[in-house]
Amino acid sequence: MLETIQNLALGFSVALSPPVLLYAFVGCVVGTLVGVLPGVGPLAGISLLLPATFGLNATNAIVMLAGIYYGAMYGGSTTSILMRIPGEAASVMTCIDGYAMARKGRAGAALAIAAVGSYVAGTVAVILLMFLAPPLAAFALRFGPPEYFALLLLGLLVLAYMSGGSMLKGIAMAAFGLLLGMIGIDQMTGYFRFAYGVVELGDGIGVVPVAVGLFGVAEILATAGQETPPAVMKPKLRELLPSKQEWRESAAPIGRGTILGFLIGIVPGSAHIISSFVSYAVERKLSKTPEEFGRGAVAGVAGPESANNSATAGAFVPMLALGVPSGPIPAVMLAAMMVHGVAPGPMLIKQQPELFWGFIASMYVGNVVLLILNLPLVGLFVNVLRVPYPLLYPAILAFSVLGVYAVNGSVVDVWIMMVMGGVGYVLRKLDFETAPVVLGVVLAPMLEMALRQSLAMSDGHYGIFVHRPISATLLSVGAVLVLLALRPLVTKTLDWRARMALAEKGEG
Amino acid sequence: MRFVGALIAFVLLAPAAVVAPVAADEPYPSRPITIVAPFPPGGVADLTARPVAAALEKIMKNPVGVVNKTGAAGAVGMQYVATSKPDGYTLLLALSSISIIPEADKIFGRPPAFTVDQFVPIALISADPTILVVRAESSSTVDGHGPSRTWKTAREFIEDARKRPGQISYSSSGIYGTLHMAMELLSHAAGIKMRHIPTAGAGPALNAILGGHVDALASGPSVVIPHIKAGKLRALAGWGAQHVAALPDVPTFKELGYPDAEFYIWAGLFAPKGTPEPVLAKLRGATREAVNDPGFKSAMEKLETPITFKQGDEFQKFFDADAKRLAEGVKRVGRIEEKK
Repeated sequence: MLETIQNLALGFSVALSPPVLLYAFVGCVVGTLVGVLPGVGPLAGISLLLPATFGLNATNAIVMLAGIYYGAMYGGSTTSILMRIPGEAASVMTCIDGYAMARKGRAGAALAIAAVGSYVAGTVAVILLMFLAPPLAAFALRFGPPEYFALLLLGLLVLAYMSGGSMLKGIAMAAFGLLLGMIGIDQMTGYFRFAYGVVELGDGIGVVPVAVGLFGVAEILATAGQETPPAVMKPKLRELLPSKQEWRESAAPIGRGTILGFLIGIVPGSAHIISSFVSYAVERKLSKTPEEFGRGAVAGVAGPESANNSATAGAFVPMLALGVPSGPIPAVMLAAMMVHGVAPGPMLIKQQPELFWGFIASMYVGNVVLLILNLPLVGLFVNVLRVPYPLLYPAILAFSVLGVYAVNGSVVDVWIMMVMGGVGYVLRKLDFETAPVVLGVVLAPMLEMALRQSLAMSDGHYGIFVHRPISATLLSVGAVLVLLALRPLVTKTLDWRARMALAEKGEG
Repeated sequence: MRFVGALIAFVLLAPAAVVAPVAADEPYPSRPITIVAPFPPGGVADLTARPVAAALEKIMKNPVGVVNKTGAAGAVGMQYVATSKPDGYTLLLALSSISIIPEADKIFGRPPAFTVDQFVPIALISADPTILVVRAESSSTVDGHGPSRTWKTAREFIEDARKRPGQISYSSSGIYGTLHMAMELLSHAAGIKMRHIPTAGAGPALNAILGGHVDALASGPSVVIPHIKAGKLRALAGWGAQHVAALPDVPTFKELGYPDAEFYIWAGLFAPKGTPEPVLAKLRGATREAVNDPGFKSAMEKLETPITFKQGDEFQKFFDADAKRLAEGVKRVGRIEEKK
């Protein structure tokens, strides 16, 4: 404990030195920007800027890249809330209730809650990272393919509750997403599936073009199809801050989102995207007013936004403690260390204390910087709502195309976005929720890979899932969930979903 | 804000650099040269391409940029260079996989994204032999077949693999990937059978062995050396012609009596076929100077990747022999579902 505090003091002496502070600030600003730009997420941002860090020293480079990573999580909520366009893939869930809040004139409140939730989550997660990194990292490595499969399956079960109205429609959309996720090279045999000679489809359908298409482009099309243009809003200054009631409603979701995001974040390979989906589902399940979700529930913004931020810190745990790339973004950051001659590995904390503790301390500083940066920006960003639609929407469309293209420099991705925009428009007209599609696209390749790797490990024996303690535990929890879901059938009590369906019938 | 500017400029100018007009008899080089790295930033191709570009820029006194054109395990970027104008302004920094992808396409009977003879080799920059590593201590993780084992020497490993065909498992960067091919060449040379667990890349493959989910891994030295030093992994043997400098006590498979188990993760510079000979000569000369540039040398040292420079006939011979070995390896692996 004492040692940790001494080390942290060393870290702050590094993090508060002017050059490190400057690069942390630059990283946060750039991160907020790539988060705000539709489509361009942290991975694209870090990849594009990695070469620019080659001239810096190792600490500055890592601090700046990390700033981009968690900064993007702050910025990602902005366009989601204001325009229903996910700034990056992990903000898909924020689109739903954040945008609904904005339509009710609570855009400022939603943005402020997202920023504060991100701040709390980011800071608490760094504290967890600091004290728990070595033991947690060892635990995280025990997640092999069977454990990962069990975790994803459990995630899917939790998410079965996610869709609002019709369960059937929700499952249909998730299945559609899973099918889209099947496109691309079969990782186990090298087969090209449904690629039709397009080499770019070999990598499958990316989540970014799908998310921007289904949410952003579809929203633009749907608005254009309305008979009267939506009223331009004039947000007033005193409406910018959340009310006491809204703060109260967001406190518990922020706490839960933080813990959930961190735990999901440390598992290697797991994406921060999933943490926001699971958090949304959990909040809806625990809420006293689940019917509010989708119509501007504060918890639907606070939970997922906190979760995706603490997941970024969680992802650093295996990277820093063991020097293993726990996902695509930590992999790029490890490469950045190698370029500077810092060998990432289990010895990093001992051999490079300035780097490790400076990095930790810079995350405290970075989160403060982001809060200071983002809260005043709320007042600025909401003014976007004042722009008349004929000007705003073409501009958004142009930015979406640019953002999606920039991720891989691929025109095919732009086409996928456009097609998904059309599909999303039709689905909206038919009252389907599109979030499960995005989730399916994210999960399908991971779920399939984990299942088939597990079976390759066990030579085809399904027993591997129950012989290993972690995966057996996760699967039992899943089984309990299924049983709980069946309970209403036995006890004949109506759950909120049934109540809602009844209420809708009454209205109709 | 400089970086934001750079980001926007990059997005806007990257395509422009590729389609700039060509004057018929301009001296080479008179416009920016683009080196295409067919893998994402941070990978071996990218990390080799950037110092090469920086050194070439200094020597040729002409801007040289790196563009990551990624996708389909490198096929997207390689295809892009194969079909671009052979004028010396679009070059490719390829890895060993350039010889593997067309062979895999052949096996599946699909039209190849590109073929090897669409490229002219300029120079080999580095060639790192893969290293066979196992866990330093046997792991207690249960995989449905009892605890995973560990081995002290390569002989012990191979003998055990012979006794228990298909029981020892290894992770790789993906099916037909470089780490898979290295193990396939060893299996063939030693007459053993192992269980292959493909993963989504070199990083996840490393995680799999560190977590005790597989028994063995073939990987580039720079990736595994930190974990060997930390006492987590043990190196048994290498696929190179010589010992790896950082691991002087680790034997080669050649020394152990398996001369066919030779494999390198190499990086080389290529131009599209049809590039005029004077342009190629200029590029070859500049690359020879570039590998001796102190900045380039220190960059490669930090990556713990020794420079292995080969040019002209020497590179062509190396390239041909390597391509032949890999083509045979891919054919032996064949189509997976036919082996049932």
